[in-house]
Amino acid sequence: MNRHKQKLQTAGGNTFWKRAKRDRQLWIILLPCIAFYALFRYGPMYGLIVAFKEYDIWDGLIKSDWVGFKHFIEFFHSQDFVLLFRNTLLLGLSNLVFSFPFPILFALLLNEVRIKKLKTLAQTVSYLPSFLSVVIVCSMFIDLLSPTHGLVNTILENLGFPRTYFIIKPEWFRFIYVSSGIWQSMGYSAIIYLAALSGIDKTLYEAGEIDGCGRLRAIWHITIPGILPTVITMFIISSGHIMRIGYEKVLLLYTPVTYKVADVFSTFVYRKGLENWDFSYATAVGLFESVIAIIFLFITNNISKKFTQNSIW
Amino acid sequence: MKKKVTPLDFIVVFLVIVITLVILLPLLNMLAVSFSKTGYIIQNKVSFFPKGFNLDAYEMVLKQGRILRSYLNSIQYAVIGTFINLLMTAVAAYPLSRKRLAGRSVVMKLIVFTMFFSGGLIPTYMLIQNLGLIDKMWALVLPNAIWTFELLILKSFYESLGHEVFESATIDGASEYRILFQIVIPLSKAALSSIGLFYFMGHWNSFFIPMIYLNTASKYPLQLVLREMLIDATVQNPGIVNQQMNSLTPEAMKNATILLTMLPVLFVYPYAQRYFVKGVMLGSVKG
Repeated sequence: MNRHKQKLQTAGGNTFWKRAKRDRQLWIILLPCIAFYALFRYGPMYGLIVAFKEYDIWDGLIKSDWVGFKHFIEFFHSQDFVLLFRNTLLLGLSNLVFSFPFPILFALLLNEVRIKKLKTLAQTVSYLPSFLSVVIVCSMFIDLLSPTHGLVNTILENLGFPRTYFIIKPEWFRFIYVSSGIWQSMGYSAIIYLAALSGIDKTLYEAGEIDGCGRLRAIWHITIPGILPTVITMFIISSGHIMRIGYEKVLLLYTPVTYKVADVFSTFVYRKGLENWDFSYATAVGLFESVIAIIFLFITNNISKKFTQNSIW
Repeated sequence: MKKKVTPLDFIVVFLVIVITLVILLPLLNMLAVSFSKTGYIIQNKVSFFPKGFNLDAYEMVLKQGRILRSYLNSIQYAVIGTFINLLMTAVAAYPLSRKRLAGRSVVMKLIVFTMFFSGGLIPTYMLIQNLGLIDKMWALVLPNAIWTFELLILKSFYESLGHEVFESATIDGASEYRILFQIVIPLSKAALSSIGLFYFMGHWNSFFIPMIYLNTASKYPLQLVLREMLIDATVQNPGIVNQQMNSLTPEAMKNATILLTMLPVLFVYPYAQRYFVKGVMLGSVKG
């Protein structure tokens, strides 16, 4: 580090412009990147002003009239607001609570497998679904749950249960959403825990064995504490993302019949904006969602900072 | 840890086998149906092995110009898209990994900020509209030319290469361009392959972006055609629905299409898997 600093000083003054001139080649290399972020990431942020205007296609973004918080107020007073808030929160919560533990348990399980071939095979199979697209996964689940030809219903019928049209039953929506997510991403999410598990000091287990500690107790006293920091970090990241429900899967799995549990902010924004072409109102709802999501991230991060000294920034 | 087999071992092995089957069986069911005779399918007699083995479904699918064309579209979008992604990311990560660059931390902050806050769906759509990219391939490629997460991964990879290499090359009079293209990028092949895999999968599997930006049916990628075939038929989704052959699609054909879509993925899977794990690992260092 010191050597580095010395070189900086010998290379010419400390002022920004002198250094920028010296590093102009680096800046030229960085130019496409800056252009990309300015246009495609910060450009849409500027476009957010449409939420405070009455967008008129003929006038365009700049010339449309300002209306202040009109769209926000309208949204807060509408019935959609409570429904969307509740649906987004509940879907995010059930996703967090039910799908978070699976990769951990799976990793712990794999860690105890002593037949090497089986472990490798199970791992290889478990990643496979994460390579599939949401369209494939959703259509597979819709097919499996189909009342006429779905495997699930065939099995249920053989067991003496009535056939159920799961996909149009609101009470099944969250279950389908969460379980298809677990099916798809369990193997992928387990990778990080498996890495943490392989990082645990092997001598701890040997010491435990000498002290007469059984395998179950070794899991409890060595393995679990060993991966706990990773678990906590992953939990903070996941809970920060509760309000960010991807619209892709909801869009593929919901039907107008299940809107009352399935419609979330992002799908509502999509329908309002790109089906009813109400850009201003849709943007207002989208902006509200982003703000809520970021507040959520801050809260979870601060809680974790306070209790675990873990922070994601 | 070589010890005698305990009941715990049996339980563990049993559970792992059950989980593996739960992951695999839906896929096997799909495979079996795609090779089976329609009669057996309608009677719900096909579970995990084909009954009345035949290739009719595949033949029908491949005869449909629509699916073949969308297959080619998908390949085109994914290849061009991934190339642009890799080029942009590999180039952008380099100056950001150089500690000597004044103003680097400000640029980094501005980049990382976009991971937490964005303009969102509608403003992005309006921008694409204003740029005149609606219904063009570039709408699928340019707005996501760099994924911030992959950029951060590659940046920390470059940093791990060690700065002695760069400094000595500079002293030898090599320009930054030469260092980047003749030293850094060749040294990063492994990292670039794993990032490229993520980009490629992202393009191959994306359906929402093509759905909102493409209007002409002949430009649709595979996922979009799949969605119309598979989902709109069962679920009456609102939206840009194109109900041509939906309700007529026989089960076997649906499944054959899905499997054909998965084909390139399954093909590169054994090779990809290694990079995949490596990619997650690289990510977790920073993540």
